[in-house]
Amino acid sequence: MSHERKSITAATDGETCVLSRRALLLAGATGGALAAASPARGAAATIAASPERAPSPGRAVRDYLPVTVPNGAKLPWKLVGGVKVFHLVAGEVDHEMAPGLKALCWGYNGRVHGPLIEAVEGDRVRIYVTNRLPAATTVHWHAILTPNGMDGVGGLTQKAIQPGETFKYEFTLRQWGTAMYHSHHDEMTQIGLGMTGLFVIHPRRPQRPVDRDFAIMLHEWRIDPGARRPNPNEMVEFNVLTMNARAFPGTAPLVVRTGQRVRVRIGNLSPMDHHPIHLHGHQFRVTETDGGPVAESAQWPETTVLVPTGSTRTIEFVAHEPGDWAMHCHMTHHVMNQMGHGTPNLIGVQPGNLDQQMEAVVPGYMTMGQTGMADMADMGMAVPANSIPMLGGKGKHDVITMGGMFTVLKVRDGIRGYGDPGWYDGPAGDTARAAVADDLRRDGIDAERPAPVEDQSPTG
Amino acid sequence: MNHPSGVPSLRRRGGVAVPWLALAATAIGCASVSPERGHDQVAALVAQRTGHKTRWEKGPPDAEAIARWVRMLTAAGLTGDRVVEIALVNNPDLQSVYEELGVSQADMVQAGLLRNPSFGADLGFRVRSGENSELRLSLVQDFLDLFVLPQRKQIAQQQFEADTLRVADRALETATEAEKDFLAAQAAVELVAFRRTVVAASEGAFALAQRQFDAGNISELERATQQPTHEQAALDLARDEMSLLEARERINRRLGLWGETTSWAFADTLPPLPAVDPAVDQLEMFALQRRLDVAVARRQAALLAKAVELARSTRLLGRLEVGVDAHQDPNGPRVIGPNLVIELPLFDQRQAVIARLEAQKRQQERHLLAVSIDARSEVRVASARVRVSRQAVLRYRDGLLPLRQTVLQQTLLQYNGMLAGLYQLLAAKQGEADARRGYLESLRDYWSARADLARAVGGSLPEGGHHHEP
Repeated sequence: MSHERKSITAATDGETCVLSRRALLLAGATGGALAAASPARGAAATIAASPERAPSPGRAVRDYLPVTVPNGAKLPWKLVGGVKVFHLVAGEVDHEMAPGLKALCWGYNGRVHGPLIEAVEGDRVRIYVTNRLPAATTVHWHAILTPNGMDGVGGLTQKAIQPGETFKYEFTLRQWGTAMYHSHHDEMTQIGLGMTGLFVIHPRRPQRPVDRDFAIMLHEWRIDPGARRPNPNEMVEFNVLTMNARAFPGTAPLVVRTGQRVRVRIGNLSPMDHHPIHLHGHQFRVTETDGGPVAESAQWPETTVLVPTGSTRTIEFVAHEPGDWAMHCHMTHHVMNQMGHGTPNLIGVQPGNLDQQMEAVVPGYMTMGQTGMADMADMGMAVPANSIPMLGGKGKHDVITMGGMFTVLKVRDGIRGYGDPGWYDGPAGDTARAAVADDLRRDGIDAERPAPVEDQSPTG
Repeated sequence: MNHPSGVPSLRRRGGVAVPWLALAATAIGCASVSPERGHDQVAALVAQRTGHKTRWEKGPPDAEAIARWVRMLTAAGLTGDRVVEIALVNNPDLQSVYEELGVSQADMVQAGLLRNPSFGADLGFRVRSGENSELRLSLVQDFLDLFVLPQRKQIAQQQFEADTLRVADRALETATEAEKDFLAAQAAVELVAFRRTVVAASEGAFALAQRQFDAGNISELERATQQPTHEQAALDLARDEMSLLEARERINRRLGLWGETTSWAFADTLPPLPAVDPAVDQLEMFALQRRLDVAVARRQAALLAKAVELARSTRLLGRLEVGVDAHQDPNGPRVIGPNLVIELPLFDQRQAVIARLEAQKRQQERHLLAVSIDARSEVRVASARVRVSRQAVLRYRDGLLPLRQTVLQQTLLQYNGMLAGLYQLLAAKQGEADARRGYLESLRDYWSARADLARAVGGSLPEGGHHHEP
């Protein structure tokens, strides 16, 4: 990406880059080699021992461009003696995945997923965790370098937080990038019910300033149509796939002005699946993982980034082309909403008189699915309570036959605000439409003739 | 129609009706046979217990009139009531049982008749000339009858009453059986209807599997796995249709129908579960007071006691013949004079007869005890069956059936959202049809159990009952 500004660090190794910067920032390194060998403990000890030499807590706008969380929320904080104090409250949440589908999930502070925690490299954070769940829990600061006792692994590094208890986590952020937090106690149940969140740490000095900085957490759920609670026992057949816990058509668009530099941080704590997230109309580079920044020389151009479960990937690009650009997981079943995976395959089936035959047995029966699922967007038929069609959202031209992990990047010229600008109204000549007879004649296209094809011979 | 054969026709038209009790009080009753005697009693017992007329109260009705009446009722379609009415009049077995009243009545009349006197004539022809021939005439009447006749008539009278009760009991039994047959047939009709739904559903699955196979969407294995269900359903339907045919034929036999009257239709369906079950307190005593088989056994025991008494009182009475002799001596005057023959009970003093009768009396008492014990047990079983079958009906009506209907409705919603396929939808439909079948069978069993209970307590249930439902 020629538009990319060059990173300040010339180091090719992300880890080294982080360490050298930390060494620089944190009041005199005790020696590069030592810092490299055991960065965390030395640095943390230094800060704890001499708080006056710690950097002042980072502030939005002054120190960083705040992250935008479509459909999401952020965790507020207050300063107490130079420490950013946060309060996470784990509890049950009645959450709407999309209009028409609500589910009783487990989350934090009344949200699913938990509110995004935003801080700055060098900040000392103190995070209280109150457990209002019926089960014990812990919080693990995924990909954040903490003292071992703050790592939040139930049984291994701490006692689990019993229902009604409040625990205190406290550590200094000695890195920057996109990390996450999640329950590390009975993960199958608790992550399966939604107990995850993003944890964005801005660099003390902006590395590659952007104009828009989005954060999206991916997740997958099993919610049977008509049920009200996700089933965390599901291992394979997930049927609700979400971005920031919303399934299309419930996803809010990402709105940017043409020409802006855009960063999208994507975290994945889906129970079982990795997600190849594909962006239309742009090429991007993967600039960070949850392990830190990727050296520019190591960045690949991509249009699809695979976000493994338990990872974050940060992509950056310049939004040069106005329009409504789809951004979605490329696994076809991940852009469907609740559907029956066990229904009979009816593609190409001739129903004949089956409908009349069935009238006596099931009045109003109609054979469906002979041509696929696209007609299912909304047939206006009665469906189970608390369920959404497997696909379909209103689009400018027609029904958008997508669902699940699907959202739209809306790039517009000269917009002043970032509210939803509506559908893109492009130049008429640049929109595919039915071919007219004149064009067909001019180009010698006969739709009735056998379709042209060139078979290959051994000589090519 | 079959006619009972070998029954001597002793009836005389226009006989005087003799009131039941007057008959018992008359020492030397009427020596004639009346067609309605006994039938009015049977008719009264049956009407009191079933609410239906036997139409035999005036003796056997006119065959043509009955045939007309049966044609009329069957043409209007059968109901539970009509079935009982027709059975009481037209059931062939029951008709021959009614004729037993004639036989029994003849026996009773016979018991009231004196033995006819005997007339004798002796004739002596001369052998030599000069001697005269001799003629002796006698008229002898056996007068033992005169002493035992009243008692003998009383016994015959009681036997006749017992026979009346027995006939009435058979009539009640026939009514109950007819009622149960009709319930079974009513259920069978609806069971066939539900089975047809199941067949239609399986036909849909069969057709879909074929179409999927034709489109190349499923393997031959899957098609062959999916389709046999339909064949099985069709076989089940054929079996159910045969059961219905058999159920109808049981009714035809029970009602004595043949020819065009067998094409009757059902005029009503199984009634729904009533809010009230019969009261079960004191039901055993109620049954012992009203059951006719118990009454018959009781009467037979009393009758044998009387027979023993009669045999004892006449043990020393031998044959006593009183007569008139008239004879003419050849040379003397004509003589006419009484003639007396008395049997001397030296050897046979009826001891064997008495012992035999006493054994029979004890036997009959044992029988009465056994009948009573059986009756009590039958009442307990029948009332338990009423209670249990009500629970089954409720469980189907308020539990299983609504659940299956919910499954069907919800599966339909899932089908609409393409979350479930036709196979699943049809399985839900089949589940609902099966639950309907179960409900219907339990309802049939309930009414059948009630009919058994009514029969077990002597024909009809006491008034009032237990409320089971709000």
